[in-house]
Amino acid sequence: MNEQKSCILIVDDEQQIRRLLKVTLQAHQYAIHEASTGEEGLQQASLICPDLIILDLGLPDITGMEVLQRMRSWSSVPIIVLTAKDQEEDKITALDSGADDYVTKPFAMGELVARIRVALRHATQSINDPILRIGELVIDLAQRIVELNGERIKLTPTEYDLLRILAINAGKVVTQRQLLQQVWGDHHNPSDSHYVRVYIGHLRKKLEEDSTQPQWIVTEPGVGYRLLSPD
Amino acid sequence: MHKLKPLNRRWIPYASVTLLIAAMTGVLYPFGLALDLVNVALLFLFPVLLSAVLWELRPALYAAALGVLSFDFFFVSPVLSFSVADLRYLISFGVYLAVAALTASLAARLKRQLHYSKQREAHTAALYELSRQMSDMTEIHSLLENISSQVSKMIGSEIAIYLPDDANRLVLSHHSDTQSDWGQGEAEKVMAKLAFDHGEAVGYGSRTLREASGWYLPLRTEGHVHGVLALHLEEWKSEVTTEQQRMLEAIGGLAASAIDRVKLAEEAKIAHLTAESERLRAAILDSVSHELRTPLAAIIGSATGLIENDHLFTTEDRKELLMTIRDGALRMNRLVMNLLSMAKLESGMPRLRKNWCDAEDLIGVALAQVKDFQQNRKLRVHLPDNAPMVLGDEVLLEQVLVNVISNGIKYSPDYTEINIEVYVEESNLVIAVADQGIGLNNDEYERIFEKFYRAQATKHVTGTGLGLAICKGIVELHNGTISGKRNAPRGTIITITLPLHKQNEASNNIL
Repeated sequence: MNEQKSCILIVDDEQQIRRLLKVTLQAHQYAIHEASTGEEGLQQASLICPDLIILDLGLPDITGMEVLQRMRSWSSVPIIVLTAKDQEEDKITALDSGADDYVTKPFAMGELVARIRVALRHATQSINDPILRIGELVIDLAQRIVELNGERIKLTPTEYDLLRILAINAGKVVTQRQLLQQVWGDHHNPSDSHYVRVYIGHLRKKLEEDSTQPQWIVTEPGVGYRLLSPD
Repeated sequence: MHKLKPLNRRWIPYASVTLLIAAMTGVLYPFGLALDLVNVALLFLFPVLLSAVLWELRPALYAAALGVLSFDFFFVSPVLSFSVADLRYLISFGVYLAVAALTASLAARLKRQLHYSKQREAHTAALYELSRQMSDMTEIHSLLENISSQVSKMIGSEIAIYLPDDANRLVLSHHSDTQSDWGQGEAEKVMAKLAFDHGEAVGYGSRTLREASGWYLPLRTEGHVHGVLALHLEEWKSEVTTEQQRMLEAIGGLAASAIDRVKLAEEAKIAHLTAESERLRAAILDSVSHELRTPLAAIIGSATGLIENDHLFTTEDRKELLMTIRDGALRMNRLVMNLLSMAKLESGMPRLRKNWCDAEDLIGVALAQVKDFQQNRKLRVHLPDNAPMVLGDEVLLEQVLVNVISNGIKYSPDYTEINIEVYVEESNLVIAVADQGIGLNNDEYERIFEKFYRAQATKHVTGTGLGLAICKGIVELHNGTISGKRNAPRGTIITITLPLHKQNEASNNIL
């Protein structure tokens, strides 16, 4: 942990959830601020400049989505949204509108803490290092070389691009749309989603020991993919 | 138009008779005196018989008169004069006329009888046809349609049918001519109501309001009036025969019993539905209350224990209690999820968020989800190298797989194997999940997809009886099928088929 505690703002109207988050996150050495409405959240965010925001999408006054959009108009602070299980549409919209990650209620505390760590790390990480190391996976961005457990892995250009996007965002979810856009460019259309599936399948065959039980590239159902960072 | 036609036609028999007799006279006249006059007289009976058979009585009598005149004028001396030399011929004329009149009336009656029996046969056939059709009908509107078309075929007039609504008020339920507003008016409604309330015909030709333009026939079975059949008879007053009236009454009787039958069937259906929903409600309450109370009891008990008597517990105890809380909450969460999914499926829901889904991916996610409670069961996946993708809602399909695989785990002993096989059959992707668990009786495999149904053999395992019903709902939304059967030598195989779509070729091409 850093000497100085990272400061987290929790925006949620449910007092029980706020209390739970406050107690557990404080135990994980984070400084906690709370807001129970969207407006209050926005106000607090501009006052205390938190290192990360946990934002519930279902707020009573203004929607979480609106808070997210207004926040993104002036700040790039990492935001993790809390959603209900069956709202894939909302998750995707939130992610495509600039949320860094999401956690589905009810969530296990470990999962949330992992998301927070990843988001905080991405926020402070310098992107100038041409070598990405994710556990035993090493990607040399300058030379376009991928190694796993010290062995070189041959990838086609598309596979490489896909893995690169996932690796740059290691630990964070990347939506299908983001993948399509960043790998295939702007001229894709939504029905091209099977391309993503096909190439993810290829990548898994090359990276995973058992591609039906992927350890590296996990699917976030209905949302996208996540390259797991082993921490 | 209708009235003029018969008038125009009426002269045809007389003209034909006149022509025929003129022709006969023309032919016979040259031989006139060579032939015996008796023969001539007999020959002149022929047009009489002919017209009696063809056109009934009046033309026949006309033919007889004309025949006598012609016989007298051309054949009886003095020829070409109506005077008669031998007065005995007057007797011949008399006999001739009498024979002619008698045969004519006999022939005409015969013809009429033939006509009636034909008509009766047609009516019987029509009634039979109607009753046959009616007995096939189970829906009231097609029944009314049928009655109305039969009646208008027979009478050709406008028809309205009134049936009582729930509050026993008569409402116009069917009208043969949707353009016309006859039958909508207050007058017609009052007449119909009168027929309905008294159970007797009202209007045309009946005892009540016989001058009215409509005829209102109650549709009654024993002791109960089911509605009123109304005919708009204004232009047809003179045309409805007693025969047709009787026929209408017969149709009315048929219609009444058919309506009675349909209504009874509907009532029986509603009663059945009510009983079914009653059963479901009881099952929901039973399942939900049990599935909610048990974990709640565990959670509340453990939590209060921890709060109140924290010092009594060892570290292990504490951990045990905390895990009880977690497991109870997870169980409640599953129940809530299932109830929500079911409610969504039932409400006609869900817009599918269709996307290309990879079987490997679907299975991968499902396996990750069941990992925590599979214990030492081995889950094997058999997947062809290039399994085609299916178009579907990824999240829902995963839910199907998770439910099916969890069931496999739940109902099979530890250290057994669960095989998940994927293959293509015809134009379907098939996913078969086979366990080596307790298995079920063959007749239960139909029922396990019903809501809240729990197989006898599985009653001791906790569950809501919703999982497979949800699977079925989701798979059917994807136009697929799901079925279960016994696995050999033991256990169950659940087979899911999902239709493949054309674009698979596209996705395979880029491999």
